[in-house]
Amino acid sequence: MNMHVKEISGAQFDAEVLASDAPVVVDFYSTECPPCEALAPKFDAVAEQFAGQARFLKVFRQANRELAQKLGVTGSPTLLFFRRGIEVAARLSGDEIKRTALKASVESMLQEPRHG
Amino acid sequence: MAERYDVIVVGAGPAGLTAAIYAARARLRTLVLDESIPGGQVKTTHKVSNYPGFPEDVKGSELAAAFAKQAERFGARIARAIEITKHDLGGPLKRFELDEGEEVEAPAVIVATGAKPRDLGVPGETKFKGGGISYCATCDGAYFEGKDIHVIGGGNSAVEESLFLTQFARTVTIVHQLDTFQAEPASAQEALANPKVRVIWDSEPRAFLGETSLEKLRIENVKTHEVRELATDGVFVFIGMVPRTDLLKGLVPLAASGYVETDESMATPVPGLFAAGDIRVKRFRQITTAVADGTIAALAAQRFLKDRR
Repeated sequence: MNMHVKEISGAQFDAEVLASDAPVVVDFYSTECPPCEALAPKFDAVAEQFAGQARFLKVFRQANRELAQKLGVTGSPTLLFFRRGIEVAARLSGDEIKRTALKASVESMLQEPRHG
Repeated sequence: MAERYDVIVVGAGPAGLTAAIYAARARLRTLVLDESIPGGQVKTTHKVSNYPGFPEDVKGSELAAAFAKQAERFGARIARAIEITKHDLGGPLKRFELDEGEEVEAPAVIVATGAKPRDLGVPGETKFKGGGISYCATCDGAYFEGKDIHVIGGGNSAVEESLFLTQFARTVTIVHQLDTFQAEPASAQEALANPKVRVIWDSEPRAFLGETSLEKLRIENVKTHEVRELATDGVFVFIGMVPRTDLLKGLVPLAASGYVETDESMATPVPGLFAAGDIRVKRFRQITTAVADGTIAALAAQRFLKDRR
């Protein structure tokens, strides 16, 4: 994992994601999941590109099932986009997440007007 | 300046990686491009039982990794998780732009992009993708411990992945549009004998329903037209594949089925442009037939490069 991506546990989710001032992208991933392995380098690259503008976090689904379930995440990988604790872009999931699609979602997340 | 190769292979499944093994061994500068990690469909197949050389079942992910390792041993470069953001394959020198930056080119290109899972095209499918609908049993199966799940389809993938899912789920109900399985008899019989597996014949999905996550699957019996809603914890879809021909559209003739026509040497009508594996018009799509295509395409590309010098 590169320096622009941080792994968090379910217990840290409220503080790291919901209470974050900066927009956050969360990647729910699993082991034995080739699409997750394929997404990882793209996630790292986009994280580096948007360093300072958005935060990029990973949650290991197997160890944080309760959180995944609460959020209705049932497939790996799934990307969620939060701004001020609210999901502000459509989730991306599965084997077909392209780097350009991830970038486009991050850009739309950044452009979203501020809530609250 | 674009980086020059002799052969660029697009798609790191069995066809593409075999082509890379042959091309690299022939000392051709070989680049393999893939938008994921190597293996194609094989990497998400939980076990492979009929690939020669493996007297015991081999995990698809392990077989895929072995193909890639072998190609790299001979010097092929495999570019993983890249996206082709521009391409021009019509001329004598074929070019690709990767991830909106790096440019690569080669006089010979082998397109082995294979096929991807077919969508059902019914309401709710897009909404619940990753939210109750899955196309990868190895990725998501373990989360359905003790759950009641459904599998759509009746071919090899549907039946074999259903058997895999019985390790976790309480019940696996297969919904199939016909009244018998198309899967190989050995796995079909194993599925029918498994106490966790139930089958609803002659039925097709009509909608996926739920508030925030998937709750129900609506199916219709295609003979009686009876419509039912089934409570479900998750649905896995294995209803066949559609070819990935984006690179070739408008450049080479596609059959009505969408697959690519080639001659016996895997050549398309565009000089230096070859197609191999599941993307081709062919009767049987197996790992072994993809590997054969890859071999032929690499040898034909080698001949093509030699003749043009």
